[in-house]
Amino acid sequence: MIDRYTMTQVVSTGDFISISPSEFFYRNRQMAGFGNPTQAVYSTVRELVENSLDACEDAQKLPVIDVRIRRESSDIIQLSVSDNGTGIPEEHVPNAFGRIFYGSKYGMRQKRGTFGLGVTMAVLYGQLTTDSPVTVSTQMDEGHGLTYKIFIDVEKNEPIIESKHLSRRSGPGTDVSIRLNGDVRRAKSRIIEYLRMTAVSSPHARIILEFEDHDHLHFGGSSTTLPSPSLCTKPHPRGVDRELLRRLLADRGQKSLIEFLIDSFQQVGDRTARRFLRFMALDPKIRADSLTREDLSRLSNTLRRFDGFSRPDSRCLSPIGEFAFKEAVSAEFGVDVLTYAKQGPLEWEGHPLLIEGVIATDNGASQSEIPSLHRFANKVPLLYDASEGVLMKTLRKVTWSRYEVEKSKTVSLFVNVCSTRIPYIAAGKHSIASSTQIEDGALSLFRELGRQLGKSAVKSSQSKRNARRMREFTRSFKIIAKFSAELANRATPPSTVGLVKSLFEVDDHD
Amino acid sequence: MTNPESATSILKDLGSRIVEDIENGRFPILELLDRRTGNIVFNDHSQEFILGASHVKRNSSNSRHVRSFSQLVWVASFAKQLLLANRTSSLRDLYYSSEAFGVDFTDQSESDRVVGDLECLTGLAREELGIFPEERSSVYGKVTMRYTVSGYEGKTVDLTISPDGLPIGPALMTAEPVESDAEIVLAVESGGMFSRLIETKAWERFNAVLVQLGGQAPRATRRLMHRFHKELGLPVYVFTDGDPWGMHIARVIMCGSANSAHVRHLTIPNAKWIGVTPDDIADFSLPTESMNNADLKRLDDLSRDVRYTGKDWQRYIEEFRELRMKAEQQAFSRHGIDYVVDTYLPEKLA
Repeated sequence: MIDRYTMTQVVSTGDFISISPSEFFYRNRQMAGFGNPTQAVYSTVRELVENSLDACEDAQKLPVIDVRIRRESSDIIQLSVSDNGTGIPEEHVPNAFGRIFYGSKYGMRQKRGTFGLGVTMAVLYGQLTTDSPVTVSTQMDEGHGLTYKIFIDVEKNEPIIESKHLSRRSGPGTDVSIRLNGDVRRAKSRIIEYLRMTAVSSPHARIILEFEDHDHLHFGGSSTTLPSPSLCTKPHPRGVDRELLRRLLADRGQKSLIEFLIDSFQQVGDRTARRFLRFMALDPKIRADSLTREDLSRLSNTLRRFDGFSRPDSRCLSPIGEFAFKEAVSAEFGVDVLTYAKQGPLEWEGHPLLIEGVIATDNGASQSEIPSLHRFANKVPLLYDASEGVLMKTLRKVTWSRYEVEKSKTVSLFVNVCSTRIPYIAAGKHSIASSTQIEDGALSLFRELGRQLGKSAVKSSQSKRNARRMREFTRSFKIIAKFSAELANRATPPSTVGLVKSLFEVDDHD
Repeated sequence: MTNPESATSILKDLGSRIVEDIENGRFPILELLDRRTGNIVFNDHSQEFILGASHVKRNSSNSRHVRSFSQLVWVASFAKQLLLANRTSSLRDLYYSSEAFGVDFTDQSESDRVVGDLECLTGLAREELGIFPEERSSVYGKVTMRYTVSGYEGKTVDLTISPDGLPIGPALMTAEPVESDAEIVLAVESGGMFSRLIETKAWERFNAVLVQLGGQAPRATRRLMHRFHKELGLPVYVFTDGDPWGMHIARVIMCGSANSAHVRHLTIPNAKWIGVTPDDIADFSLPTESMNNADLKRLDDLSRDVRYTGKDWQRYIEEFRELRMKAEQQAFSRHGIDYVVDTYLPEKLA
């Protein structure tokens, strides 16, 4: 396959080179997180685990995910991830693993993975570095399952089915195995960190990591409640671009313009559609695909600007939620979780946006003046390039000193940004790009959490002061009782326990 | 002086009151004379500092009071033990003893302050509770005293018994004057002058009981002088260095200090400061030193002090200010070692 790849380069000698998406992504693999053998192992684990989590969420099952890494030689590894999700319908398997940009759903719904790019990228990387196909075993119900071995035709961006046979799993779910050139030794700590953070954002999942058939590590499971299922919603008109419009027209362009709008978008009913078309001076009854290029361009621009659409539906979002988030942070990090806060649903460019966060403290003086930041986007942990992201930039804008953080505490912030569209800085999904709405939302969230932190610092110093006062009173009253008894020639000092207690019972009620 | 039995009984009553309050589920509250500066007034009639009518409370339910309340109870019990055992303790000993009882003082000034609280609470001077300051001054002269302290009851002592003078401790302070040939009390600031006056037999020449003050006079010393003055009818003369500090030593003997305003029977309003006055410095052409800033500031403070409202005192202050010079008692030695005895004192005591 490597030969085929080099051949492609030789063949493409014209002034304009047309390359397939597969080729494009292979050439720019560091952008997608496959720049070197360490990154590649980590990214492969990530993509497979996120797919599995999404699959289990679709199936409304508590995920049990098994990640196995075996080294075949010094730089070749076998990486397998199995889950107990829905399984994949037989007809979709080849395209899901053998074609870049597969999946043409118009539906908007919060998912971990974005366009299935990640998994195919991992398959592609494995194929090009070890000349091996991806092995996918999947089973949808209690019956039989199927095992595929699939290559990607890099030039044509098409799956090549190497083999396909019946197989049995113990139940529904999917196993994906990829052979790749990878550096496990250096990737190991990253993977562990990633799974630990995943256990925070998806605490209902139980993940087992196996190295070389021994060395089992367990993550997650601090919650046994499934996150509430998110709804699949239509796109919001303000989130429309020319490309989406083109695809929608190809699908249902034969309808009348007004029907097309009502069918394709959320927040567009008959009345809104009519108002909108009147505003655009277009006839509601003409066929949607009869619009000229110019009209289309005007349509997509106006859809984005028209202020008569309600805010996007946020039921397609699936935040971690207050209880699960707090429990998970405390279970995984053993810190004192103070409070949860959220901002939203907000809107950014036609997409609903919700930012939730948890602030926690731990004993031990911090070196830093700002809290340590743990980021998530749609529950996916973001571990790298923090300083470039909008969250870190916003965090630095907050004057943390104003919240009077105790000097002896380390403060941690866990933030999850949920949206049907996350503007990642690069395809590697490590940090979120700046956008006014995300920045404003994050700023409000951080300040809210900061205020809670300040309050709790006051409270904790109050309760500390109370405890100290009580000790002081107990001690002092022992002395008072003992020596006043001596003065009064009494053999035994009077009991002071009740007296001291009575002083603090009053305080307890406030 | 209050006798030990009644002092003990005052302390016992204090303990009983506290125990009863606790047993009845009440937080004991103590009320004591306020000895903050705001409540210290100068009594023109007796020419001494006394406390006004204001009282302060030590409420054991108040977190700011409870610690000092416990310290106060301990000091009371410590004093009671001293009285019962016929023992005395220095303020410093008391401070160090506290640790053994699990009572905590930040420093000795805190325990000294609590002793002061106990004095204000009980109306008993610490000396009556067996508690004395560390510093000792001395006395020498033709007086016979009879001890009252345990083990020495009835024994008498002639205050000329030691050529170094007798230290004024608890025993001497509680002793009673039996007889005296002396006609005056002459208190001097420095130990050097005290020795000179003994060696040169100045005490015989002036018929004086000599008292070495050693700076500001301890209460025991002031009390002893007070007794000599009241019980033996001896006039008191005070001879100090010629500077604001020396002058103030004399003034405290006469009309008391803020720190002891709650204790009676210390002041001697008729005592006389013989010098070294600003005039003496010129009249006796004494060698001088320039006053430093602290000296000048002290003069400013004293000029506003109620004890110095008298015309003569204001004049002394004014003269020191103009002179900007000070002289020690020993300065008389420039005219010969016995000059002070042969020339200065006869002139001043005449």
